[in-house]
Amino acid sequence: MEEQEEATGFEAAVRQAVGDEDVLRFMDSTDSYLTLLDSLSSTLRQGWLDLAIARQSMGASRINGALLDHKSHSAATSVQVDQEDVDSMEAQPRFTLRKWALVADGKQCYEEQKMGEDKFPGKTGSLQLRHRGDSQLSDEKTSESGAQLDVDDQIQKERAKLLSMFGTLISPKLRAAQLSFETALETFVEIANMRSAMLSSFDRVRNELDHQKDDTVPIPSADLVVYDVDSCATKGLFGLPIDA
Amino acid sequence: MANRAQIQTNNSALIAMIADEDTIVGLLMAGVGNVDLRRKTNYLIVDSKMILLMLLSFAYEKCSLCFLETTVKQIEDAFKEFSTREDIAIVLISQYVANMIRFLVDSYNKPVPAILEIPSKDHPYDPTQDSVLSRVKYLFSAESVASGRR
Repeated sequence: MEEQEEATGFEAAVRQAVGDEDVLRFMDSTDSYLTLLDSLSSTLRQGWLDLAIARQSMGASRINGALLDHKSHSAATSVQVDQEDVDSMEAQPRFTLRKWALVADGKQCYEEQKMGEDKFPGKTGSLQLRHRGDSQLSDEKTSESGAQLDVDDQIQKERAKLLSMFGTLISPKLRAAQLSFETALETFVEIANMRSAMLSSFDRVRNELDHQKDDTVPIPSADLVVYDVDSCATKGLFGLPIDA
Repeated sequence: MANRAQIQTNNSALIAMIADEDTIVGLLMAGVGNVDLRRKTNYLIVDSKMILLMLLSFAYEKCSLCFLETTVKQIEDAFKEFSTREDIAIVLISQYVANMIRFLVDSYNKPVPAILEIPSKDHPYDPTQDSVLSRVKYLFSAESVASGRR
């Protein structure tokens, strides 16, 4: 009988320790969620300010919602959704921002194309002809950095393309606003991840609380019980056994 | 438990937006705008005109109630559409717009798409109105913890 009581106390203490960890994780994610929202507010405020300055210098008719592109087109920036297993019981979504995904895909295609051309050296000349000065660059590292520069150029072109709906000559503040909103997008994705972590840990804490409510055995107070993970022993205050 | 549902993975999901004009314009400049072949967009601009109509509707409750219904209905429809589309991973909604359809936002509990309430230019973010925080805040009250310990 005593052994059974001891086992139940041990189980409760284990649950308590796991519950404390979940509570800590929950509090931590809530804090991060609020901090990220604060940071988002600052970033968005900067973006709105830059947009307002650009509107003031270019004129209200040059920057408004009526100029938005309504032709069919795909989003240049998207989100990748994966499933992240926190433990064996639960899964939570994991969001990853794919900035300028079309360009990145292009880079991948470029790399794949390059690998294919390495296999068939006869075709490499055609690639070199496309880029001015590439004939002098034989080093692989240099060509990689060249490809990176190419991608950066493509990204700059994509940025300019998106701004072109407001005209050819645009205020530098509009470019600054674009960068602010890009930063805000990164924060959005971080907030979405934090939100899913928060809700996941909240569910576990709530389950724990429900479990404790259903439990008929009184649970020892957290400040009196120390759970030793290595020895799997439950000790009371000053190392005394809990039933002593 | 919403999180126990199987999460559908997606390599290139969209970000949908229901917000004021400046926020939408800014985010479209960042490259999240998408228009499909049927010319359906992934955003809804809740502009000042719409808000003015709503205020008018409140002022002349009887004669122009239809304006209010149409406006809130537009937001409701957009929210329902964005939260059920499989190609959308995150729905951004300005908090003051979310307050207009609070019953819908609060009843939503799926992990994907994630609904995020964001600040708008004229309305700063208020954590006490956030649907996610109001869902989890009962854990912070002493009564819930005490009842759990009993």
